[in-house]
Amino acid sequence: MAQSARVRFGRALLASALLGATLLPAGVPALASNHEPLVLRAGTDQDLQVLNPWNSVVVADFEVYTLNYDLLVNFGQDLEPVPGFAESWDQDGTTWTFHIRPGMNWSDGEPATADDVAYTFQLILDAVDTDYGCLGQCYLDGYLLNAGVTSVEATDAETVVIETEFENTLLLQSYVPILPEHVWSEYTLEEIGNHEGVEPFLNDDLPVVGTGPYQAVEFEPGNFIRFARNEHDWRDEQGAPDEVIIQHFSSIDTAVQALRTGEIDYVRGILADQFDALRNEPDIAVVEGIANGYTELSFNTGGNSEGYGGRTAALSDPAFRDALGYAIDTDALVEATLGGYGTPGSTIIPPFHTRWHVPPENPRTFDLAEADRRLTAAGYVLDGDGRRLDKDGNQLNLRLTWPDSEAENATNAQFMVEWFGDLGIEIDAAVTEEGALIDAVTGPPNGPADYDLYMWGWVGDPDPTSLLNFFRTEEIGFSSDSFYSNERYDELFLLQRAESDEEQRLAYLTEMQELVYAEAPYHILYYDAELHAYRTDRFGGWTLQPSEGGTPLFGYGSFGYTKLTSLAEPTPEPSSAAPSGAASPPPSGGGETPASTDSTLLILGVVALVAVIAVGLVLVRRRPSTEEE
Amino acid sequence: MSGSYLARRLSSALFTIALIVVVNFILFRAMPGSPERVILRGTPNVTPAQLEAARERWGLNDPIFPISFDAGGVVVSGDNQFFKFVGATVAGDLGYSFVARGQTVGDVLAQRIWPTVILFGLGELVAIVLGLALGAYSGWRRGGRVDLVGNGVSLVLYSTPYFLLGMALLLVFATGLRWFPTFGMLTAGVTYPDLGARLVDFLAHLALPLATVSLGLVGQYAIVMRSSIVETLSDDYVTTARGMGLSEGRILRHHALPNALLPTVSLIAINLGYVVAGAITVEVVFNWPGLGTLAVEALTARDYPVLQGVFLLLSVSVVLANLVADLIYGLLDPRVRT
Repeated sequence: MAQSARVRFGRALLASALLGATLLPAGVPALASNHEPLVLRAGTDQDLQVLNPWNSVVVADFEVYTLNYDLLVNFGQDLEPVPGFAESWDQDGTTWTFHIRPGMNWSDGEPATADDVAYTFQLILDAVDTDYGCLGQCYLDGYLLNAGVTSVEATDAETVVIETEFENTLLLQSYVPILPEHVWSEYTLEEIGNHEGVEPFLNDDLPVVGTGPYQAVEFEPGNFIRFARNEHDWRDEQGAPDEVIIQHFSSIDTAVQALRTGEIDYVRGILADQFDALRNEPDIAVVEGIANGYTELSFNTGGNSEGYGGRTAALSDPAFRDALGYAIDTDALVEATLGGYGTPGSTIIPPFHTRWHVPPENPRTFDLAEADRRLTAAGYVLDGDGRRLDKDGNQLNLRLTWPDSEAENATNAQFMVEWFGDLGIEIDAAVTEEGALIDAVTGPPNGPADYDLYMWGWVGDPDPTSLLNFFRTEEIGFSSDSFYSNERYDELFLLQRAESDEEQRLAYLTEMQELVYAEAPYHILYYDAELHAYRTDRFGGWTLQPSEGGTPLFGYGSFGYTKLTSLAEPTPEPSSAAPSGAASPPPSGGGETPASTDSTLLILGVVALVAVIAVGLVLVRRRPSTEEE
Repeated sequence: MSGSYLARRLSSALFTIALIVVVNFILFRAMPGSPERVILRGTPNVTPAQLEAARERWGLNDPIFPISFDAGGVVVSGDNQFFKFVGATVAGDLGYSFVARGQTVGDVLAQRIWPTVILFGLGELVAIVLGLALGAYSGWRRGGRVDLVGNGVSLVLYSTPYFLLGMALLLVFATGLRWFPTFGMLTAGVTYPDLGARLVDFLAHLALPLATVSLGLVGQYAIVMRSSIVETLSDDYVTTARGMGLSEGRILRHHALPNALLPTVSLIAINLGYVVAGAITVEVVFNWPGLGTLAVEALTARDYPVLQGVFLLLSVSVVLANLVADLIYGLLDPRVRT
């Protein structure tokens, strides 16, 4: 998963016609009950454009489909495998048997069976054989392909047998929603994958049919998605909200204001200064989670060898890269760039992966004298003017860049220019347009590998495998942007992927982390923080996932939603729900009616004022004409 | 209005639109980064064959212009990206959005155009009515209390950026006093008992963004109208009218106002272009689901087809607004019709 995934005037008549058009009741399904549904509203700065899970790219997309659907195996609080679409499973070497819950139904009442699993997984296997090689945006296929899935078969309604190419446990981490065959099989692979030349299947025929705890019932692309509780949910534990609304905000400032007023209950992606301000707000709690990812300084380890566009061979020298690691004060970067929220970086598996992150045995500390010593020892000496020379006797002058989409790296760059400058290495720091940067950091044979140093970041999956992939030799030309190549690393990658024994896998992962830390194709600058905030006066039961460094929502799957409890007063007959109350924003607690009455009066006042002015002007224009006659 | 005047204006507008289409094409081709790599970044298991297949499917392997140069000299090709682009644009096909995956740019724009038209249509209307009235009265009673206060307030509003004004209104009236909702056009997911309730909810959401747009525009309209009235009132024909013994009110309404309106017509037309820039900030502050927020999202997500569509739509509407202004000008002032 990549980080990047990371007007006019008219006459009054026309205006009122347009107004009318907007106000005509749209297809909002009325809730046939006499009490107001309990609605959880969560705000995000990520765009909401996707209901077809295969088109998912950003975190919000994944949140949407894991509300609608179950994974074959869901994620528990600490990302451990827990029953999802499958109730239980056994592994026998490369053969997996998944047992589907008997009597489970889709949200439309149709039986949910092993055939649905076979159908969904087969879609991916079939897509690999097409021109496109994958489905939709191609983010989900990898979960099955990395696990080496070769065949999927429903042997009876409650049993799925999956064969893998090699023994591994990645199948239990596969982020693939199980889809209802009776709905999706009406569409071709091309329609589902949104290939050109066919009518794309957008899955926007609402309500969505799934087995997840909530299904989308209303979708305004780019604005919000409303979900209603699945009446056929198989879970024993269900969340208190009757409905969930995920709301998109173009400006996170506005989302924070809406959280303050109680118009929303949750915000993801708050900035450091807003986070500080929210700390002391009544009825609001803040959460500082650890991001499953990092921001790095990457070296063009291909240097100036053939096919690579680096300025000097020094970039290919691990000793040179290691020495520069002593010239980076990661604490200072966390303080200056992240406002103190975040963790100084070390290895390529973020501490988010509590089971797999192993701090380096000999961590580098910020020490410019040590950096100087190491550079000199490695043969990079100073000339008479205090300029550092590479082994060919040329003055070291390196380009440092970052994508324009990640503006905070400009602050990091200022520090690097100073620190590396102190070592006699001149740095030309300049931002690059994101698209151009992606081209420049693509290695041979598909790209020019034309850079020296650059900063960007990656976001990982529940399993660290995808984050480890970028350092494989075979990824050069694809996802590898440091062009790092190490036979032992490549071997360890395959070993860890196929290893079912946790202790043994940790040993492999420890060696991989040490190897990359020592040879330093990347210097991990910091692990970003996930800054979220939520209201504590309407819902309780906010549960962090994972329990350490996690966040209550926008984690992994629908877990957090199912834990929520209601703090609302038991009001079976909300007598205050006057017509205006129903249409006013839902503020916290009870103070609903006065606020809405106030605003109604005010609006009516404004409308009346505009009307009086308009009528007055018309009269002023008219009177003279009668005088003239 | 003569037919040749109309024809001249129309052909000039059409020519401008044609130029816009060409610029739109070149601008987006000149952007750095190859589209297939930007789209496929980070997606696992993309092979060179797939990248090549994507280039072929998207026509990126065709020459960009009908005439290109290579080692062998000038190459003329009918099968080029420019002809295909112009053909598709004329046919109304703006392509597919990268972000709203699977949706056409036309669909995406259609969802977002009405909120912006309503907000800025009403905002312009309120600003024109209030601004012209205030400006005319201030100019007529130059040096009076309304003039002093009105002129000061107008200058302040004129010089305040939209987002600042919007943020201030938001903090005072939404977060502070809680009279209005902070975001959106309607409360998401609410079932309205009747159309009236929906209207009230809509107006509550509209109030602050509308106030921001109107206040942002009213200052400049008032200032231009005021100086235009002051200038007109010192003209000979106004002195003549006074000499004829006409009442001050009548002089204002029948002689000064119609002539003083001319500069404001062109101001309003020119303004439509700037309003678009303003739309982006006002819509973002209030999370108004219009073209402004769409443009921001498309820009951050590098959704080039949608950006191209927004550019085309906005520039064409500015050209059309200017065409309308020219025609109204022609009606108001017979001298320009020749």
